[in-house]
Amino acid sequence: MKYLAEYRNAAVAKALVHRIRQSATRTWTLMEVCGGQTHTIVRQGLNDMLEGAIEMIHGPGCPVCVTPLEQIDRAVHLAGRDDIIFTSFGDMLRVPGSDCDLLQVRARGGEVRVVYSPLDALELARKNPDKQVVFFAVGFETTAPANAMAVWRARELGVTNFSVLVSHVTVPPAMVALLESPDNRVQAFLAAGHVCTVMGWTEYEPIAAKYRVPIIVTGFEPVDILEGTLMAVQQLEEGRHEVENQYVRSVRREGNRPAQELVSKVFTLVNRKWRGIGEIPMSGFGLTEEFAAFDAERKFGLEDIRAEESPECRAGDVLVGRIKPMECPAFGTRCNPEHPLGAPMVSSEGACAAYYNFARFRSAPPLEV
Amino acid sequence: MCLGIPGKIIERHEDAGMPMGTVDFGGVTRDVCLAYVTDEVSIGDYVIVHVGFAISKVDEEEARRTFEALQEMSQLDELEWMKDVAQKSLSGMPPERRA
Repeated sequence: MKYLAEYRNAAVAKALVHRIRQSATRTWTLMEVCGGQTHTIVRQGLNDMLEGAIEMIHGPGCPVCVTPLEQIDRAVHLAGRDDIIFTSFGDMLRVPGSDCDLLQVRARGGEVRVVYSPLDALELARKNPDKQVVFFAVGFETTAPANAMAVWRARELGVTNFSVLVSHVTVPPAMVALLESPDNRVQAFLAAGHVCTVMGWTEYEPIAAKYRVPIIVTGFEPVDILEGTLMAVQQLEEGRHEVENQYVRSVRREGNRPAQELVSKVFTLVNRKWRGIGEIPMSGFGLTEEFAAFDAERKFGLEDIRAEESPECRAGDVLVGRIKPMECPAFGTRCNPEHPLGAPMVSSEGACAAYYNFARFRSAPPLEV
Repeated sequence: MCLGIPGKIIERHEDAGMPMGTVDFGGVTRDVCLAYVTDEVSIGDYVIVHVGFAISKVDEEEARRTFEALQEMSQLDELEWMKDVAQKSLSGMPPERRA
């Protein structure tokens, strides 16, 4: 299904596009902060259909894409050690580090394994007591409860050969950093549905109020995104700036309390570097002192591994909406999914890969509306 | 990456005190941690599962619709990892590492 015309709910989607276009008296600039939403928007050509009414900026919503280069280098370093089984979600394996990616480490004999869940990595540690098992704990708030539980269980079960290389990021501080930026153009946000399934939306309320910016908690299907967009446009046209929930079938205002409780026991807020953007204060999770024994950075002394990003990759400009992926000089030539310069070209949820795969040859809106 | 897959709880058990369940994702089954939804779900309920953890309960119609939409949009990466890992654990691992 490349285009909306093939989508089952095409009629509903078309009606929503029509209503958005009717409601907008000018072009409004919206940002989604969810790689899944970016994928849907570009794949279905929603941005083309809304052209003139809405400009979509694809924010830093792909955790693979924002994992800083030096964390990749640290992963590569660990994965190359004989005494370590390095475990990761599948989409981190092709993210380029300074010298190579995890897939290349595996080709050279490093033990790199893809796991579906952090609990699989913990299980691997229990079955291989003679090896150290490290899990690459990346993700937004959606993934944090899973990674927190793996660490919690490791302590509970007395598994000492398990640790996590943490590169967790959180959405609200990134929104604030973007809004504080002098060249900010974002007028409303679509907040990520599953991040809010875990965290709820109370932490977005002060942001909406302070920066006078509508924030709509939104799902990731085409109709969800169009509904969320319509809600944002209605607020903007009426001069309102509230947090509203489009994704009612999964999200409650308070979120998932048991998940939040465990996350707050295992993790604490830390400053975190975002690839292409730089350090954002208190924008990530790190392990608390209580769980320091499970911190791969401390366990294996990785602090000295530092890295500077390639100046040729303009991921940072893409992630904050300064340029569209196709405006990067390297796009599609020196940088493509087979030979990526930066992470947004790697992940299927990255903005550059989405444009490369779905929007490169599109010259006209795919659907008459 | 934050998408999650809807599935049906077909069995419940405990693993050293942790609430777990077998969840059916359109024919692919696997163990899922139910700790974060344990008070609100029972066998037969549908949940959104993200990297092996149920994060919310959804109704059946919603689960079916979401699963189909994910399939149509080729956004079932997580299911692919799941299958990939399941196959490896059966055939790809050296014999001494098999469960």
